[in-house]
Parts: sequence; structure tokens; C-alpha cells
Amino acid sequence: MKPFPIFVAIAAVALVVAHYLIFVVVPMEVRMGPVQRIFYFHVPSAMMCYLGFVLCFFGSLGYLFKRKTKMDLFALAGAEVGLLFGFVVLVSGPIWARIEWGTWWKWEPRLTSMLLLVLIFAAYWVLRTYGGRGEGVRRFAAVLAIFGTPNILFVRSAVKKWRGDHPDNVVDTLDPDMKGTFYACMLILLLLFSLLMILRYRMHRDARTAQAIRRRLGRLGGL
Amino acid sequence: MKRLTFWGAVGTVLAKDFRTELRSKQTLVTMLFFGLVLVFVFAFGFVNDAAANRRAYPGALWGALLFTGSLCVGRTFARESEADAFSALMLAPVDRSAVLLAKMIFNALLIILVMALVAPVLAMMLRVDIMSHGGMIAALIALGCAGFSVVGTPMAVLAVNARFAEVLLPMVVFPMVTPVIIAGVKGTGVLLGTTIGNDVSPWIQFLGAYVLCFALAGVFLFDRMVTE
Repeated sequence: MKPFPIFVAIAAVALVVAHYLIFVVVPMEVRMGPVQRIFYFHVPSAMMCYLGFVLCFFGSLGYLFKRKTKMDLFALAGAEVGLLFGFVVLVSGPIWARIEWGTWWKWEPRLTSMLLLVLIFAAYWVLRTYGGRGEGVRRFAAVLAIFGTPNILFVRSAVKKWRGDHPDNVVDTLDPDMKGTFYACMLILLLLFSLLMILRYRMHRDARTAQAIRRRLGRLGGL
Repeated sequence: MKRLTFWGAVGTVLAKDFRTELRSKQTLVTMLFFGLVLVFVFAFGFVNDAAANRRAYPGALWGALLFTGSLCVGRTFARESEADAFSALMLAPVDRSAVLLAKMIFNALLIILVMALVAPVLAMMLRVDIMSHGGMIAALIALGCAGFSVVGTPMAVLAVNARFAEVLLPMVVFPMVTPVIIAGVKGTGVLLGTTIGNDVSPWIQFLGAYVLCFALAGVFLFDRMVTE
């Protein structure tokens, strides 16, 4: 059997296990109640989102300097998968905040920087999807990713003046059961991330190949 | 013929752009009218009692900067589209980043020029006194225009290759310049007494750092951005 379907099967089972851990195994958080269970997906998703964007950043940097198609496709896949996890974060966060803070949204450093990071990469995605296929667009997107990622440091320091109250570093204070589930979820989402990353990368690579074949056929005046 | 130094090239391109702009005035005049139209729209939308006007002023001011700025950077290379002047500019035996730097400076100066009219007119419309802090507000706006230009100009160069460039450019640039807008709005608010705090210098330093970082990043990466 090929390794990839086994990988898919493991990821599928792992996701079911993650839900079992989150909803059955983990004890109820005393103060926040059931809504705290969002945390096990929310925080690892944020990590995966950052990971995707960081991969996109390095892929773009590599593409700009080496002009290898591989790196461009890698960057694109990283942005897409990162964006997906970013949406998970931006949907699960406000649900938690509604119960815990009494409001859906606060203009707070971490929330604002996350939102802008997702906005920048959403722009990246729109550019890649609707901006055309040429070399120039790929370069434009690469520069966007390279400028956009470090820009978040500026966003954070700008919003810091509003003082944040997003929980920071809560993992160390967790109950052992909670900690175990948290790290398990982290690993499971990393598995899912890698899976999606490989899938998207292959898809774009094959699309690129198909396009090249079609172009060559066209040039031969065939079919 | 003597080879131009880096700064010589910056000066030459800058002088050329000023000369063409002074002859046609098309970017400047369109920006000015657009800026004034925005002022009227904001005035219709926000005019209220004095305290509310004061609170609305920073947002309206920096919103106007964002919109007129994107009009400006979008036209950066329109000037070079005729007879493929852009390729000629890239093939010129000078450092390409000098061309970018000249364009950044030119755009920044153009936006500053427009904002120099928009800011006081907006203040008159909203009946906000900005003169008591005129110098500081001018410094904030100047740095804000530079911040917009150092990010918007390289993006505009690259957007030339994309479809829907005129829509994509603001979509890409606006999130990127959010730090400028936050710093500008908050800094102006501090000066007008509508935002907590009494010291505007951290915001000025912040804008200065932003301009410096992105100007350097753009200048260093530009050669990579346009290699054909």
C-alpha cells in the first residue's frame, strides 16, 4: 500500500480521537464551563495558522531569490492552509470571547494582529486566485508575503498601547489531563496540517503540469 | 558620459517626475479633487456638535490619506507605460533601487502636498482647531504619507502585472499600512485631546521606524522584484 492513504487514515482516526479527548476525557473547567473546550482547537489552530504563514514567508523568500516553481507552490500551499486555520481561530475566538468577556470582539493586540495577518494572506489568496497566472503575479504575491509577515510586529506594537487582556501562556497552568489533551490536539492538528499541505501542494503542482501540457499541445496545433 | 551615482540617479528620476507632473498636473489635480470630494463626504457624514467633530476628525483625516494615497501610488507607473518607458528605466545603467527610491519620495511628496490642503479644509468643515498643534499634526501626516508611499509604491510596481490591479492594490496595501493608520489616528487624537495620553512622540518615533524599515526592505528587495 502507498504511504499517503495510510497517512490519511491515521489523520482521520486522530481527529475522532481529538474530539473524544476534548468532549469526554478532559475535565470541565470550573469557572468557564464547557466553552473552555474551544481552547483545545483554538490555540493549536492559531499555531498551525502561524506555521502556514511562516512556511509561505520562507517559500516566497526562496522563490524571489531562486525562482524555483517548487518554492512558489510551497508558499501558495502554506498560505492556503494557514488561511484555513486562521478562519478556525477567528470563528472560535469570538464564540469563547462572547461567553468569557461578554463581547464578540476586542481591539486588543493579539486579536488585531491575527485579524490583519489573516486579511493580508486573504489578499494574497485573492491575488493568486483572481489576479492571473503570470510570473509577475507570483512575484507580487511573494513580495506581499515577505512584507506582510514581519508587518505583524508593527501591528502588535501599535495596538499594545491599548493594553491587551488576551490570556497569555496559559498552558503551564493547566491541569495534567488538560495539558495532555492540549498537546495531543496540537499533534493531531499538525498531522492534519501536513496532510492538507501535501494535498494542496500536489494539486497545484499537477494543475501547473496540466497547464504546461495543454500549452504544448496547443503549440503543436493538436487536439 | 559620466556614470550617475546612486543619489544622482534618485535626483534625476525625481526631477524628471516632477517635470512631467508639473507639465500635465494630472495626478496632482485628480488627487486634489478626490481629496476634496472625500472631505465633503466626511463632512456630510460626521458633522455634529463640537466634541463629536473633534473625535471624528482623526479618522476622517487618515481615511482621506488612505484613499488619496492609493490613487497616487496606483498612478506611479502609469507615467512610464507610454512607449514602454518602464523597460527603458529598468535598463538604464543605474541602480534599480534608486528608481524605486525616487518613486517612493515622489509619491510621498505628492500625498503630502494633497494632504496639506485636505487637512485644513477638513478642519474648517468640521470646525476643529488644528492650528494650536499644527506643527505636530503636520509631522504626523508627513510621516504617514511617507509610510503609505514606502509600502504602496513597490506594491504598485508589482501590481502592473496583475489583473484587476486597481482593485487589488488597495486590498493589498490597506492591511499592510494599518500600523500607519493606527499610529496616525491615535497620534492625532492625542494632540486633539480625544485619545488617552498626552505625549505624541512615541507615535512619531513609531512612524519613523516604520518608514525606515519598509523603505530599506523595498530598496534591498527591488532588484529581485523586477528581474525579468
